[in-house]
Amino acid sequence: MSQPAYHPVLDPAVAPPFPDAALPVLRNPQLRKNVAHAIDVIQTKRGRLVEEKADWQALRTAAAAIRTQALENLGAYLEEFEARCTAAGGVVHWAADAEGARRIILELLREENASEVIKIKTMTAAEIQLNPHLEAAGVKVFETDLAEIILQLGGDEPSHIVVPALHVNRSQVREIFARRMGIENLSDDPQALTAAARSYLRQKFLSVPTAIGGANFLIAETGSVAVVESEGNGRMCLTLPRTLITLAGIEKVLPRYQDLEVMLQVLARSATGERMNPYTSLWTGVTPGDGPQRFHIVLLDNGRSQILARQTERQTLRCIRCAACMNACPVYRQTGGHAYGSIYPGPIGAILTPQLMQMHHAQSLPYASSLCGACYEVCPVKINIPEVLIELRSQVTDQERKQLRRIFDPMYLGLRVANLLFSRAWLFHAAQRLGRMALGWFTGKDGWIHSLPGAGEKWTQTRDLRGMPKQTFHAWWAARRNAGGKEAR
Amino acid sequence: MNAPSSVIRRQVLDRVYAATRNAAGSVEQTVLPRDYIRRGALSAESRIELMIHRLREYDAEVTECAPEALPAVIVEQLKKSGRSIFAAPAGLPAEWLAPGFAWKVDRNLTTREIEEADGVVTACFCGVADSGTIVLHHTAAEGRRVLSLLPDWHLCILRASQVVETLPEYFSRCDQLPALVTRLVTWISGPSATADIEMTRIKGVHGPRFLHVILVRDQGAE
Ligand code: SF4
Repeated sequence: MSQPAYHPVLDPAVAPPFPDAALPVLRNPQLRKNVAHAIDVIQTKRGRLVEEKADWQALRTAAAAIRTQALENLGAYLEEFEARCTAAGGVVHWAADAEGARRIILELLREENASEVIKIKTMTAAEIQLNPHLEAAGVKVFETDLAEIILQLGGDEPSHIVVPALHVNRSQVREIFARRMGIENLSDDPQALTAAARSYLRQKFLSVPTAIGGANFLIAETGSVAVVESEGNGRMCLTLPRTLITLAGIEKVLPRYQDLEVMLQVLARSATGERMNPYTSLWTGVTPGDGPQRFHIVLLDNGRSQILARQTERQTLRCIRCAACMNACPVYRQTGGHAYGSIYPGPIGAILTPQLMQMHHAQSLPYASSLCGACYEVCPVKINIPEVLIELRSQVTDQERKQLRRIFDPMYLGLRVANLLFSRAWLFHAAQRLGRMALGWFTGKDGWIHSLPGAGEKWTQTRDLRGMPKQTFHAWWAARRNAGGKEAR
Repeated sequence: MNAPSSVIRRQVLDRVYAATRNAAGSVEQTVLPRDYIRRGALSAESRIELMIHRLREYDAEVTECAPEALPAVIVEQLKKSGRSIFAAPAGLPAEWLAPGFAWKVDRNLTTREIEEADGVVTACFCGVADSGTIVLHHTAAEGRRVLSLLPDWHLCILRASQVVETLPEYFSRCDQLPALVTRLVTWISGPSATADIEMTRIKGVHGPRFLHVILVRDQGAE
């Protein structure tokens, strides 16, 4: 029962459109219950802590401004980061796309003769589908984040960017661990399950000499890298191995060390509803005698510079991956993360994924929103997600309009007809009269339309439609004005 | 054919500069809105109380003591822990190395040796009351990163004079330090934890499962 009944596809290039992908989830009450429970817990905690913070809005304003400044001057800050990191003994690599990044990492692993790596959860590695490529190259990957272990051992996919296994409940975790770790008599108490993960990984931490991780922030001023986490698996990976390879999107830069005073305050509260996450680590290149003595960082573009170039969409890159937007999203709450067909689900996924795909895939995602604005309200860096969604929708429409196969698409056909009708008053009035007559046919004695034929049936299947009033607004207005005019005289 | 790395670097940077339309290497200086609370408003006593309260809220244990009582309180806490082998950073004050315990002082200890310790005693740079956070800069008395990571029990000595109310105040204190001091920093807020299974907070995954703080009252109430 722990194996998902379906296997979610998180590669936007081949994933089904959102409405189709959402169906298996909507039909899975257990999964929906798990998601709703987890979301409710985080939301309650976050709400309490944001309430307690008197300067929350000022922090959001500052966080947005810092990220905006970083992006506006990204080239200079990247070069500054590179120079400082290199001076401190780190090696900086640049990757234009996913394939380039994978090639660099595989090359580095070959130099290290690495047959195993320990890994800190990183969205960017998932974005470039690093794990399957490493496995194909004969490198065994040990995920070390508890949620990632659950997914890796369970053959499942992440459904959230901060709590990736939030769709799995304790008895499902118990079953996966018992089966894959070979532990009999494992209880489903989270304490026991966590202890099982601790002993499962301990030897790996102490013996595997190569680690791969991500970055929450790169500090231009000092060339430092910061990783925010809870469990200590991050600290293990950042401290014990001989070699550390960090993969980071180019947008992760902050100008100054001091900027962390804002970012760390907003991140933990938004992500897990804590005043501060248990551990944040910051390191700078290589420190003799302390931690990995070889440090490589791969800076990944993979479509980011194109997003940067667009005025409305640029704000997407401010994102600090806190997941507050998905926790607040009424759509995500119903569908969970798998429906988005991307490792970035929820509102941020709905704007980021199609852009990373350069609008060639994931075109259904900008529509996976009611535009209610809850995401914008909670976003700690004030990304106006609805604004970007609308911009992307218009791009999708522009694309589709040009496609030959859409010439007879009922929606575009309808819109073309509407366009014609609305452009000439006499045509509009004629169409109105015709429509009223036609609808009159289907209106019952009670003044309601209970069923329509053809395309209209989709509407009346689940709801009734009020019949047309006796008079149009136009007619009523004209009559009123005529009458009024007489009175005034 | 794969392009050489310098070509890719140039290509990415060119795209970035083209996207932001500013000249290579130049930064537009804008004044950022920083209207958030930078300096705390609490009295010294309430600040310490908040620190203790927040530490406890996230499952750390706290013991208070007067400066002259510190060595004795360390002994007491080590005894109470029921553990016997302790790791210590090379620069830990000698009077903190309580007699009667097996001490592994970090003069190039191997990972295995550190793993064998039941606990570790370190100093720290700062405590942030607002979030119950302890900041390590990994100097001689604070120890290498691995030292406060592998042993399951971490005893951290925090002085009242090191406690600030807000996170920005910690960063102001860093302004007076040489830049190199902050090349390694760890912010610790309670013992390691996870909420990955049904959002139930479980203490102790991979980092120390127990965080114990001795708060040294080296400041009179203001
Ligand atoms: S878009 Fe905003 S709320 Fe969503 S993950 Fe990014 S920073 Fe957090």
